[in-house]
Amino acid sequence: MASSEILESTLNDLSWLIAGRKLSSAEAVAAALVQLERLEGKLNAFITVLGEQARAEAKKADEEIARGEYRGALHGVPVTIKDMFDTAGVRTTGGSKILQDWIPQTDSALVERLRAAGAVIIGKTNLDEFGHGGTSTLSHFGPVHNPWNVERIAGGSSGGSAAAVASRIGPISYGTETGSSVRRPASYCGVVGFKPTFGIISRHGSFRGAWSQDHIGLFARTVKDIAVALDPVAGYDARDPASVHQDAPAYAARLDTNVKGIKVGVLKKFLDGVDPAVRVAFDTAIKILAGEGCEIVDLDVPEISYAAMTSMLTSSAESAGINRRWYRERYHDFVPQVARGLAVGMAITASEYLIAQRARQRIREAVRAAYEKVDIIAAPTTARVAPPLSEGVRGNGDDARHASYNQSNLLRFPSMLGLPGCSLPCGNNPEGLPIGMQLIGPWFADQTVLNTGAAYQSKTDWHTLRPAIASA
Amino acid sequence: MNDADKLSHRLALLDGVEIAPADLEAIVKEIEDNLRVVAELEEFAKDTPWISQQLQPAGKKA
Repeated sequence: MASSEILESTLNDLSWLIAGRKLSSAEAVAAALVQLERLEGKLNAFITVLGEQARAEAKKADEEIARGEYRGALHGVPVTIKDMFDTAGVRTTGGSKILQDWIPQTDSALVERLRAAGAVIIGKTNLDEFGHGGTSTLSHFGPVHNPWNVERIAGGSSGGSAAAVASRIGPISYGTETGSSVRRPASYCGVVGFKPTFGIISRHGSFRGAWSQDHIGLFARTVKDIAVALDPVAGYDARDPASVHQDAPAYAARLDTNVKGIKVGVLKKFLDGVDPAVRVAFDTAIKILAGEGCEIVDLDVPEISYAAMTSMLTSSAESAGINRRWYRERYHDFVPQVARGLAVGMAITASEYLIAQRARQRIREAVRAAYEKVDIIAAPTTARVAPPLSEGVRGNGDDARHASYNQSNLLRFPSMLGLPGCSLPCGNNPEGLPIGMQLIGPWFADQTVLNTGAAYQSKTDWHTLRPAIASA
Repeated sequence: MNDADKLSHRLALLDGVEIAPADLEAIVKEIEDNLRVVAELEEFAKDTPWISQQLQPAGKKA
């Protein structure tokens, strides 16, 4: 099998090939590592590459599969993880100078589950320092470049993961999201980014951005792959206080593209400031969902116009609390923008934090009521495509600090409230840069979100486009 | 408390970390912005019940 065919294969395809011994894990891992090495000088998507270790694990996977000890869909498959997850014996930096040489003794819950599933981790992806950012330019290890145009940002904070999947460096990557750190980079890089309901995937052993908003999320090219990769890592874990009891995950088996009768809410007031190309792509996507039998419902939830402010104040205070000791002792070792953010968080008082939680409760109740009218809320993931690297941290252009219909509210409210959300590629702008649409469900309606996304992808081919750099 | 005293009170919360003047200027601007944000959120949430959630021990049922 040609290397290009291996790289283009989805997770679902690779699993079948490896399980049927039509392709070895060693071949799949070698192809991904070659692609990684070929592109890393242009993308800077990785902090640590596990070449030798990955090759050894692939060999072991092939031996196990040959003995009939197949462990499931991730067995022998090359995957990447954001450098936020403790990985025993492997440098785990959080994108920070503070931990640039730190090697944990134990695995995070995510890595434990990936190892149990037989996945082969080939690299740890670059990010904004400890997840504090939306550009992936705030890393001690330098900025991540967007594979569609290396002069553009990949989005953050899980930018390395999104860039890796878009570039065909493994079919799946695991990241984290506190504000929009899965859905935004997924949108900018033209891949699917999904974060499940708060508590579905254990966060034990991962660095925290803001504990009440932190989620683990996934990147892939198809929703089906997201479901396949979610099953092995979801589940209760007593070590994470937010973890929820849940049935044995079966998202992939229950994936159903029949979405007839699903009510999709559109918050029209939030569309006014959206870039025209993004608006056209989103409107077209909504028509496709309508064509699949979804009922499109105009929705107005004005309380969401306070979501970005509430989320930012909450995460600012929580991240200062988490980093309090390092703030005092290592202030000058943080990336300067991150250090300043922590200082601002230190100055938030307890009563101010509680006011934000009260506002959060009002927004939560309004959103809960909205989900009595609709099954899904759909929106453009971001108001514009990936901005130029030269615009820096202000490039995203959606830092809402007043109650407004700014798009950042729609990026922020799902993480702040713990709702399942999925960004899907739904177009390209005239410059060929990807545009994303997000589908947000109510709590624990992860399957509905995935089903609706899969239905959309069954009628479109935006997810099959690849950046030129990936095939050069 | 006048504005200068209020700001001094806030800066005391920075725990004495030495911060360059240019950085401090940016931080002060953000702190002032947050004060306005809090005022806006306080008005928005004034009739909302205070949240009262306990985190129960894992695995316990009534």
